[in-house]
Amino acid sequence: MVIKMDLKEKLIILSDSAKYDASCSSSGSSRKNANGVGNAAYSGICHSFANDGRCISLLKILMTNSCIFDCKYCINRRSNNVKRAIFTPEEICTITINFYKRNYIEGLFLSSGIIKSPDYTMEKIIETVYLLRNKYHFNGYIHAKAIPGASEYLLKKLGKLVDRLSANIELPSDNSLKLLAPQKSVNKIDKIMTTVKENKSRFFVPAGQSTQMIIGASSETDLDILNKSEHLYNKYELKRVFYSAYIPVNSDKLLPTIKMPPLVRENRLYQADWLLRFYGYKVDNLLDKNNPNFNILLDPKADWALRHLDEYPKEINKASYYDLLKIPGIGPKSAQKIINARKVFKIEFSDLKKMNVSIKRAMYFITCNGKYYFNNAISKGFIESNLILDSKEKIESIGTQLTLFNE
Amino acid sequence: MSNVYLYNNSFESLMHLISKIILLKNNPDNIKNRVNYEPNLLDNIIDLELKDTKELKLFLNSFSLDILHTVYYVYLSENDNKELIIYYFLKNALKYHNEIYLHRNLKCVNMAINISNYVGREAHKLKGFLRFKLLKNNFYYAEISPTNNVIEILSNHFKKRLKNEYWLIKDVNRNIYALYDKKNVYYLTDKEIVSLNLELDNKEEKFEDLWKSFFETVAIKERQNFKAQRNFMPKKYWNYILEMENRI
Ligand code: SF4
Repeated sequence: MVIKMDLKEKLIILSDSAKYDASCSSSGSSRKNANGVGNAAYSGICHSFANDGRCISLLKILMTNSCIFDCKYCINRRSNNVKRAIFTPEEICTITINFYKRNYIEGLFLSSGIIKSPDYTMEKIIETVYLLRNKYHFNGYIHAKAIPGASEYLLKKLGKLVDRLSANIELPSDNSLKLLAPQKSVNKIDKIMTTVKENKSRFFVPAGQSTQMIIGASSETDLDILNKSEHLYNKYELKRVFYSAYIPVNSDKLLPTIKMPPLVRENRLYQADWLLRFYGYKVDNLLDKNNPNFNILLDPKADWALRHLDEYPKEINKASYYDLLKIPGIGPKSAQKIINARKVFKIEFSDLKKMNVSIKRAMYFITCNGKYYFNNAISKGFIESNLILDSKEKIESIGTQLTLFNE
Repeated sequence: MSNVYLYNNSFESLMHLISKIILLKNNPDNIKNRVNYEPNLLDNIIDLELKDTKELKLFLNSFSLDILHTVYYVYLSENDNKELIIYYFLKNALKYHNEIYLHRNLKCVNMAINISNYVGREAHKLKGFLRFKLLKNNFYYAEISPTNNVIEILSNHFKKRLKNEYWLIKDVNRNIYALYDKKNVYYLTDKEIVSLNLELDNKEEKFEDLWKSFFETVAIKERQNFKAQRNFMPKKYWNYILEMENRI
């Protein structure tokens, strides 16, 4: 039952029910301002940071939180007794344009519960985005959710209007999906991802597609989850897989009872995901059957380094790009700086500091011109405890901020 | 006595001056902006003639866009020695060209890169944190108070983004305004703005209220993390960020 309510009340209901989607990125598109309102910034822009430390870049809302489906983990499922609301396309345009011109946002993230049918819902989303682009001449960033089960024709229509499309896989295995989201099938998601991949171009979903998995609502290990991610990256050329720590909003005998969302685990998965995409690691480098979950105290790279101490120390002036990346504390930016600098001079520890390459974590794993940072041999235990102390600080202060992982 | 060269309060003037100093035999002891230079008995002030714009063009043409970008950003910083850093950086750039970026062991190169990145980072942050208010007179108006003088970078950004709106950005500390009239950006001082009516548009309050509601709602309670919020959005910007006003 939808009763008449004012814009503010709708906005509160429909942003409240959209907030669990982890995706916040506004990057990857360079849409120009064709004499209208707005453009896209290729690297993305964060406009604010919410009280949970997450970046606010897009107006993240549902068109409606009414839904004919009944996914167990979802606050909007049919069987829940929550207040329902629905935006008209014009209302969404008004808020988007007015927020955008005041520089509150980079654009719109539009998702929706499923009303009447997947096709009907998809048509309403298309109508909204079409209005924004053609009546309001809006050239800012738009990320839309593709509705599982909607026709391919509609998906193609939507893809031409938006910068990014996503369909959430939600659960890392088919079994969990059957159990917890019986009306969504792997097939439907696969269809969406395949269509987007095959049609992607400068004019069709230029910023690519992404997806999200909920962590901790089902029984999969980190190994299962990462294998799934690796598969998704390879098969559909996804831009991003987002991980979202499960937050209990419903009680159901099929769902686990937990007090705190598994935020550290979520962070570990992001770190590992990063290693897969940019550091040349493979899943089976990081985890295996005997060791299927990450060390909660140490980031995956440091953990790996400690288990392979015989491969260290690496000589800063000689190591290859990928070897540099295997040094804890050294990322692609620092590695590139090192490679550039050593073309013209021999790098000493003091040079690294000057170049803003932090050696706080790296110092145990490197030599500069054959010199080691410590005078005496140091033990694995010493390194491990120091790294753990350091990483604890990080977990507290950074939480699981997504903008750390700029695309 | 130390030799001090003065330029006339603009990037072009500084570049022109440096082009001339480089031709001299000796490195300058200091290069300063005439506008905020405080005379000192030990300084020997040298004025060079900066009229021939052809000369300046020729000099600028000897550098890549990357190099000009770096020194321009250094110029926008508040570093006390920025002019000398730019001078030495350019002098080396004449020798190394774009390879100069590899020479991080040269102090001037390393400092120039670090300062320019710092300015770039602040400008990038403010592209997000700046907040416009719609005024009765149809102008979108924003106040900022950045550490570096990034108003020109921001103006170039909004010139593309909001090209069909009137807008006005004020750097509160430096008393500079950037005014856009749907065609050009004008940089004005306090004195040049004769009257400024800051009365808000009727709908302004409604949209501010909507935004604040959205801001509060979109955070997940179970993940509350004020420390991370502060790290990413430093307190020094909160004065001008609408949704943080009640947190100061
Ligand atoms: S289809 Fe989407 S909105 Fe509907 S219950 Fe499932 S997850 Fe929730």
